[in-house]
Amino acid sequence: MNAIEIKGLSKNFGAKQAVCALDMTVPMGAIYGFIGENGSGKSTTEKMICGLIPKSGGSIKIYGRDHTDKDVRAKMGVLIEAPGCFGGLSVFDNMMLQAANLSIPNAEREVIKTLKMVRMEGAAGNKYKNCSLGMKQRVGIAMALLGDPTLLVLDEPLNGLDADGMRIMREIFLDIVRDGRRTILVSSHLLGELQKVATHYGIIRHGKMICEMTAEQLDADCRTYVALQSAEMSRTKALLGCKYTRVEEDEAGYLRVYDQTTPEEVVTYLYKEGIPVTEIKTDKIGLEEYYIDLMKGGN
Amino acid sequence: MEQSVNFESFGFGKRLSGMLKVDFKRMLKSRVFYILIACALVLPILMTVMMAMMDGSESVNQQTGEITIMEGPENAWQNIGTLPGGEDMGGMDVFGMCNINMAFMGVCVFVCLFISDDFRSGYAKNLFTVRAKKGEYVISKTLMGFLCGALMLIFYFAGSALGGAIAGLSFDLHGLSYVNLAMCLLSKIFLMLVFVSIFTLISVAAKKRTWLSICGSLGGGMLLFMMVSMISPLNATIVNAGLCLAGGVLFALGLGAISTLVLKKTSLV
Repeated sequence: MNAIEIKGLSKNFGAKQAVCALDMTVPMGAIYGFIGENGSGKSTTEKMICGLIPKSGGSIKIYGRDHTDKDVRAKMGVLIEAPGCFGGLSVFDNMMLQAANLSIPNAEREVIKTLKMVRMEGAAGNKYKNCSLGMKQRVGIAMALLGDPTLLVLDEPLNGLDADGMRIMREIFLDIVRDGRRTILVSSHLLGELQKVATHYGIIRHGKMICEMTAEQLDADCRTYVALQSAEMSRTKALLGCKYTRVEEDEAGYLRVYDQTTPEEVVTYLYKEGIPVTEIKTDKIGLEEYYIDLMKGGN
Repeated sequence: MEQSVNFESFGFGKRLSGMLKVDFKRMLKSRVFYILIACALVLPILMTVMMAMMDGSESVNQQTGEITIMEGPENAWQNIGTLPGGEDMGGMDVFGMCNINMAFMGVCVFVCLFISDDFRSGYAKNLFTVRAKKGEYVISKTLMGFLCGALMLIFYFAGSALGGAIAGLSFDLHGLSYVNLAMCLLSKIFLMLVFVSIFTLISVAAKKRTWLSICGSLGGGMLLFMMVSMISPLNATIVNAGLCLAGGVLFALGLGAISTLVLKKTSLV
């Protein structure tokens, strides 16, 4: 059984089609990275999954049931835009309100346990409005985690976090899915960070799902390339351009050869042309480059 | 191994009681609630005492030489309604503008802020994701608004009596009984349900746009505001209270259904 199964989902805002015949499958226990540029329909899709905006067509099944089923809803936790906290109340009070709302027995114990899970136990007494952005994001996740939901829908939870905040958030994600009971659907623009935790990916563009894959498939799809530096970069680029179909210079000043080749073959070729290679290595493109490639229509 | 999910059903009672518990706690922690209650208590005291102090004082118009003699309140119940043989309530003087019916407008601020805060903070989003029933949300908000409104009326009533006592005014009911007084208050409390239902509908339609909901609610409330003193006079009987209760329940059901429909048919973000 899949945690989320979407078929032919569409959403129109007047004449504008925000989501168009979208299919999506999120397996149980996955950390599903939902990727797309601004305005691609990520948040709209997430809001439809959560029942916050009505869909124009298609079906959304959560654990095999319609997404509007109230029993299914009780299994969900959500962080979309604002976390549902009141600024004038403390983190703990906000959590207690949510616990009361969810009729959680032993609410105080559950709240403390959840705050520990998001590394916020030391800031429980802080007023929510005085929390830093990173803390607010973690409180948002804690709010979503209350009531022991098995499906979390998180919209851009990594936004605005510093390096340490990102690390903590990654650890939290891994803790959440550790026992395999919970599934996370997370959208983010920070693809490098997402790649460190996601087990599945879905890439959306102009409201359409253009590809879904597992982390293993992404790893296999991410091509290796040969990166090199030489004393005469412009001549080297011209020479490599004659022999290989795709040669590009990256931001770090390396020339990248994406064709099927080896460092030995490239060095031998350049040596014969009288160009000494100062540094050469093989590497793999990351999710970010893969995504940019995909958006450009490349492979 | 195929994974499975166990679903736990939450009944109407459990869901509503959870929501009511949260709203009640929020109300008790809300500054606006205490400000409104304080206003309801202090305003009639201040008004009655100040007007009583100014009773009989003369002011001369410098241009025409016309002398105006200030008339203060004679009876403690003048803030609540018109006594037999007395002047009509609702005139354009301080008493007319700031009588007990002010509570109907005061509660508008509470309902609008309470509901718009839900949408602004994302609380409503969380709620509607994990709790599918929009109707329960409307019930909870209407009951909270009603409770706040009822408390404002009771405090205003107490404030009027206290102000009257401080100013040394008469508590004579001019042939009316305390049952009439109680029925008048009860009628107003039941009428509060009508107003709160209107404010709730406008607020759920306006969502996070607080000013729109406050202005819309004040506008909507004004249409019925003038009727309050007619429907719930000081000589009210059980018939008045019964009619107000029936009207309140009908409005709450009708407008509650429309509010639920608005929540179902519109984006919640």
